[in-house]
Amino acid sequence: MNDQHAAAPGDFAEVEMRGIVRRFPGVLANDRVDLRVETGEIHAVMGENGAGKSTLMSILYGLQRPDAGRILLRGAEHSFGSPVQAIAAGLGMVHQGFKLFPSLTVTENVVYGDEPTRRGLVDRAAARARVAELVETHGLRVPPDARVADLPVGVQQRVEILKLLYRDARVLILDEPTAVLTPAEADRLLEVIRGLARSGRTVLLVTHKLGEVMAVADRVTVLRDGRVTARLATAETTPAEIALAMTGRRIDLDRTHPAGVPAADVLEVRGLTVSAGRGAKPLVEDVSLTVRAGEIVGVAGVAGNGQSELVEALAGLRPATEGRVLVAGRDVSGASVQRRRAAGLAYVPEDRATVGAARDASLADNLAMGFHRTAPLVTRGGFLRRSAIREHATRVIERFGVKAASPAVTIGTLSGGNQQKAILGREITHDAPLLLVEQPTRGVDIGSIENIHARLVEYRDAGHGVLLVSAELSEILALADRVLVMYEGRVVAELPRAEADPHRIGLAMAGGTIEATVDPDPGPDSDPAPTTAHLA
Amino acid sequence: MTAIKAGTAIEHAPGPARYAALRLRGAVLSPVTGSIVAALLLGAIILAGTGADPFTAYRAVFTGAFGSEGIGDTLGESIPIVGLALALAIPLRAGLVNLGGDGQLVLGGLAAVSVGLYSPFPSAITVVLALLAGMLAGGLWAALAAVLETRCGVPLLVSSLLLSYPAMSFVSYMVRFPLLQKGSGIPQTDRLPEGVKLPEFAAGSGAGTGVSVGIVLIGLAALVYFVVDHRTAAGYEVRMTGLGARFAGYAGVDRARLTLRLMFASGSLAGLVGAIAVLGFPYRLVDGSLTTPGHTWTGLLAALLAAASPLGTVAAGFFFGALTIGGFGMEQETAVPQQLTSVLQAVVIIFLAVRGGVFRKGGWLRRLGRGADPGPPATASPPDPETTAPAPARGDGGK
Repeated sequence: MNDQHAAAPGDFAEVEMRGIVRRFPGVLANDRVDLRVETGEIHAVMGENGAGKSTLMSILYGLQRPDAGRILLRGAEHSFGSPVQAIAAGLGMVHQGFKLFPSLTVTENVVYGDEPTRRGLVDRAAARARVAELVETHGLRVPPDARVADLPVGVQQRVEILKLLYRDARVLILDEPTAVLTPAEADRLLEVIRGLARSGRTVLLVTHKLGEVMAVADRVTVLRDGRVTARLATAETTPAEIALAMTGRRIDLDRTHPAGVPAADVLEVRGLTVSAGRGAKPLVEDVSLTVRAGEIVGVAGVAGNGQSELVEALAGLRPATEGRVLVAGRDVSGASVQRRRAAGLAYVPEDRATVGAARDASLADNLAMGFHRTAPLVTRGGFLRRSAIREHATRVIERFGVKAASPAVTIGTLSGGNQQKAILGREITHDAPLLLVEQPTRGVDIGSIENIHARLVEYRDAGHGVLLVSAELSEILALADRVLVMYEGRVVAELPRAEADPHRIGLAMAGGTIEATVDPDPGPDSDPAPTTAHLA
Repeated sequence: MTAIKAGTAIEHAPGPARYAALRLRGAVLSPVTGSIVAALLLGAIILAGTGADPFTAYRAVFTGAFGSEGIGDTLGESIPIVGLALALAIPLRAGLVNLGGDGQLVLGGLAAVSVGLYSPFPSAITVVLALLAGMLAGGLWAALAAVLETRCGVPLLVSSLLLSYPAMSFVSYMVRFPLLQKGSGIPQTDRLPEGVKLPEFAAGSGAGTGVSVGIVLIGLAALVYFVVDHRTAAGYEVRMTGLGARFAGYAGVDRARLTLRLMFASGSLAGLVGAIAVLGFPYRLVDGSLTTPGHTWTGLLAALLAAASPLGTVAAGFFFGALTIGGFGMEQETAVPQQLTSVLQAVVIIFLAVRGGVFRKGGWLRRLGRGADPGPPATASPPDPETTAPAPARGDGGK
């Protein structure tokens, strides 16, 4: 797609990183990494967690210094001590967590730090005009006078992009930009990215989503364990080839698991409401659902639409204002966490670092949790049996393929994927009729994702019920026998597996018309277009 | 990290000798040791600056504390410090800070002296009853602080500290009015009846040392704490709560109940220290005598220094006790004011705080702060355009 903007004059690449090395204690985060990005190109940097892509981008953006290597922009060597210098050199970055002032308007956010002035005062009119002009040129469709807090996440992200354009960034680095977006918003973002490239800007897309890369990028640089394992042109490659370069082994990307055979109810929820305090809109509103043994029920939705609160209320970590919850036939409405677990509930929480595990405790201690009051981990006299705790940990570690030197290491030193396998292993080992699973593969490498999915299906097939909350639509589609969609605290759609397709779920996730209510110019594509494949 | 097959690595766990060597290595290289050494060095510089010879001074501290003259005093001084250090370590293990040690201490002393003075039973039984009364008084007062947190949402840090003041005032009033010794110019209660006292060991310098059966009681308390902490499910839950309060809650540990029990245990032990104090020389409660030496705060420092580990807390408490007594010895020998040892105490803590990264994310004071606050972590922080760096990639232990 970018034939019309060939390489920059003099055959200099827009961005060139040569032989970048960055060491952390015990880890070589970047090992002689070379990255070459041509002007006007959309270049994806891919890799699993810990592959070194964030480190590489931090080095490019001046957040970290490399131990060795050179950075050249259009042939000129640079050494950035801080992002300020990188910005001055024409780079710009949109981080995963936005850095916006929610109470200020779009214009104020965009010009902040570089306001146009007139006789020493901020020239608001000029600022607004400049922002409006940028919105117009790039087709960003952001209302310049709206308060950022009132804008949906997808639009806020475009405000971040506006900030970069306002500072005349020639190279835009986008870090996992679609992580927080609905499928429709993600599609629109990809459109914006294409537009930026057409206007001659260079986009560096850091992501682990193969579908996006195939849809929008021109070329891909793949990292694994700090080294470049592939440089590919998307026109000449396949998602499978990229995945191979990321993981070093063949991954079945399109695997959907056979449907389950549902039996008796293991979870019954009736009219559950979680209040957000007086006057505020409830976080969870009148939710009713059932999960049967032998099925996985997926809860889809854009993050922040009440899924976390729903699961926390079910697990007993958050009081429900109304409604009844039955776990394996026992009424546990208002019961303590302990009683719910005793009734037959296990739970893999979203926040594995602080809720699912005690980071600074050993793997063995983390895995003992919940088993520490029953034999064989305690003697009849009430004393812990250290050997039994170690054996228990070893069993979970082996069964779930957790890579750890020993059960004595602190769990915080393991990679995200291994932490998650350990937590999932612990909860599955409880053998509870109902398993609540929240974002089981967030921040987990592709190789582990496959493993974790297989475990969940195996658990289902062993006759347990699973309630799966995930922001990754692909995950819901791959695993769920039934899909519920949450929007603003309510279940707005329930689709059996056969009817659950990305388009219908995406529509429900967006509450039907969410963008149209805010966007000043809804335009023809306010209806979500069919989504691109969300593979990973 | 090399991808060793997990199982094999476990089978080849280090043998006991190697394990002990590793533990020793860990202890020598620990931040605690480093801080103590750094503090001693800084102390030496201060000493040299005042014109004193650091070596002579330190030798005087050492002989003052551990010489035949001093060891009895050191043990006597260490009883309350170690006792209070253990008392405060118990909740600290779960990330809860009991700042009300003083109040629990004096209530324990008051309860013990009241029972001692008015019990109709034989003296042996009276002593036991006095000890139990002291524990009960301290324990209940601490439990009240726990209830204020769990039921009324007053942070424990605040509730425990603020409950301390009325307790001290109440005890002061009781000693100065209802229980005041007739005809005495000193605000003190009557002397306990003959025989109502803890048996004392025949230490070198006689009765005045205060080395009584109290040391056995505190030792017993330390042992119980050690066993519970290391070997029981309850101790496991406490440790996990300290390492991750939200994790423990998620797994079903009832935080309110845990807080109540730990605070009761903590207060009981503080009360026991008070009871032991009045059941020893001068066998009465003198207003202010329990709190003036500041043992509660020294104990809290010791518990913090040892991160509330049972053995470490005892060692740290004893270290501070020895430092205080050694300071007196140094003052006599070298004319260096004994306040220098307080300086050393403070410097140890400061170095430890710096080493442990008190204000760093995940540093230990932060962790304690979080532990004391049952609410979810605050999420609303103002955005920081452009400048906020993402956390540097952590040394990922493996794939």
